[in-house]
Amino acid sequence: MTDTSPTTHNKSFSVLPASVALITPIAAFAGIYLLFAGHNNPGGGFAAGLVFGAIVTLRSLAGVPNRLDATSLICAGVLIVVAVAAAPLFFGDALLDQKVVSITLPVLGKIKSGSALPFDIGVTAIVVGLVIALLSGLRTGDVTEGDSP
Amino acid sequence: MNALIAITILAPLAASALGLLWRKNVVARDITTFAGLFAAALASFFILAGVADDGTHVVWVGDWNPEVGIVLVADLFAALVLPVALTIILVVEIFAIGQRRTSWGANPELAGPLLGVLTSGVSLAFLTGDLFTLFVAFELILVSSYVLLTHQGQRAQIRSGMTYVVMNLFSSTLFLLGLAIVYAATGTVNMALLAERVPELPDAVQLGIGGWFFVVFGTKAAVFPLFSWLPDSYPTAPTTITAVFAGLLTKIGIYAMIRFHTLTDMADLGPAMLVLAGFTMIVGAIGALAQTDVKRILSFHIISQIGYMLMGLGLFSVAGTTGAILFLVHHMPVKTVLFLIGGLIENAQGSSRLSRSGGLATAKPWLAVLFAIPALSLAGLPPFSGFVAKLAVISAGVDASSSVIVAVALIAGLLTMLSMTKIWIGVFWGAASDEAEPVPTRRGNRRLMITATSLAVAGTLTISFFAGTLFDLSERAAIELRTPGVYAAEVQR
Repeated sequence: MTDTSPTTHNKSFSVLPASVALITPIAAFAGIYLLFAGHNNPGGGFAAGLVFGAIVTLRSLAGVPNRLDATSLICAGVLIVVAVAAAPLFFGDALLDQKVVSITLPVLGKIKSGSALPFDIGVTAIVVGLVIALLSGLRTGDVTEGDSP
Repeated sequence: MNALIAITILAPLAASALGLLWRKNVVARDITTFAGLFAAALASFFILAGVADDGTHVVWVGDWNPEVGIVLVADLFAALVLPVALTIILVVEIFAIGQRRTSWGANPELAGPLLGVLTSGVSLAFLTGDLFTLFVAFELILVSSYVLLTHQGQRAQIRSGMTYVVMNLFSSTLFLLGLAIVYAATGTVNMALLAERVPELPDAVQLGIGGWFFVVFGTKAAVFPLFSWLPDSYPTAPTTITAVFAGLLTKIGIYAMIRFHTLTDMADLGPAMLVLAGFTMIVGAIGALAQTDVKRILSFHIISQIGYMLMGLGLFSVAGTTGAILFLVHHMPVKTVLFLIGGLIENAQGSSRLSRSGGLATAKPWLAVLFAIPALSLAGLPPFSGFVAKLAVISAGVDASSSVIVAVALIAGLLTMLSMTKIWIGVFWGAASDEAEPVPTRRGNRRLMITATSLAVAGTLTISFFAGTLFDLSERAAIELRTPGVYAAEVQR
């Protein structure tokens, strides 16, 4: 088991990293499902973001180094959300109006999606970014001494 | 018009994302943040001009039907308050750019972008036409305010920030439960539909809903007895943050209260509101007298002034609502300016404690003048904006022959004057104290800070100059709110 573990520096607790490595793709799949399901069923960008956030949290608990930058994720997310919200205005539609596209793919069958999808992706990015920011904040945890100004 | 309304909400949000992205590049970051806030403020003035001429403008977000959709309503009340609020934030941002290099400045890498998020929430809170979006706007404002309040990580900030977070989470939870109750009772959270459906409910249910939301918005607005979180938390934050919070946050609670309780016609709650308004005024004013720090005195004044707005609302007459709206418009800039001057005092003296300061009238006479104008205005002396606003509220009280609350309001005004005198004597009169003062290592861009403050003082003077016009607009807004069916008809048009 130790060999498949993504970390080698902490051999005594290798069960957690190994299981996290196994869980990651499954959980990521669940997150992606929620992202797409959210259009008409329970799920959506926020729920997907929480699942991805849970993956990030698990991985950081297991000691897997995190390569995602919180700030860029949050910024990208907010910009996508704002762009999708404002875009219909340029075509004379209402704020946040959405275009629905349905296409038929060979294996998956008929798929209905639209401009709500990038919006959901934006929301997901914000949530994941916030979780990462929260984790790094908890890691530093410094309270400076001093008077209130 | 659709685009203008979108700009007030989306421009600050986009600016905050971009500002965060290049947060290490000082010039680009400042320009982005400023541009976003400026665009929003400019758009809000065009909205006011448009709404004053053509009446309420409604945006159906995503073209959903009224029962489930999000709706943004720029009626006269929203359009009147929005430019004032956004201009305040813009002025504070200028001040913040000047102050950041001092030891009191907020961390600019965080404060600028978060101010953008807060601004977006403020615009949304003013413009929204349904209770759930109002909840979202409140959360947007609160989440950024939690960070702004505590981001310097000082012990006092964390300690009082705790109270602040717990109180606000408490009221947010109540808000969410209240939403569920309203939805269960009426089948909608859209305010236009609520204005029609709530008055048809049984009296007890109506009173329950009104009372529930009075507690929710009252906690945000720091109404007696739910005010204790405010004077503890506000003074610990950096000046610019406190100035924005003091000018806007509690006022958004009052704004929501004026909108919700007049639209659903909760006149039965009026007497209870008047009693609490009286306590709020007096407790705030007496609390201010007991303080020995400029920022703490000013924080207690916020509470006292909330009482006047609540009094205007509690009278449940057109004149009273007019007074409350006018008071709101006057109070937001004046309060912000006073905190900015508190920041200048801090910068000049090394502390905002009264015992540490002194003799500023001779050392910096211009600062004394800058302080005197909004201070006299807050106390309600003619010819400043506070006089017009107080007069409107008190004469509405006289019209309704509620003599007790009128007397209480006058006494509270006197007490406010007394505590302003206390600041005046402590800070501006006398000799400079010879205690060793911790002079800040870097004094920041003083010229920019003073320019921003002077701009804001000029803004408050403009309000008293245009008091007649503003009174007329407030009255029109109040009539729109008070006349049953007007708001509902305009939204459902």
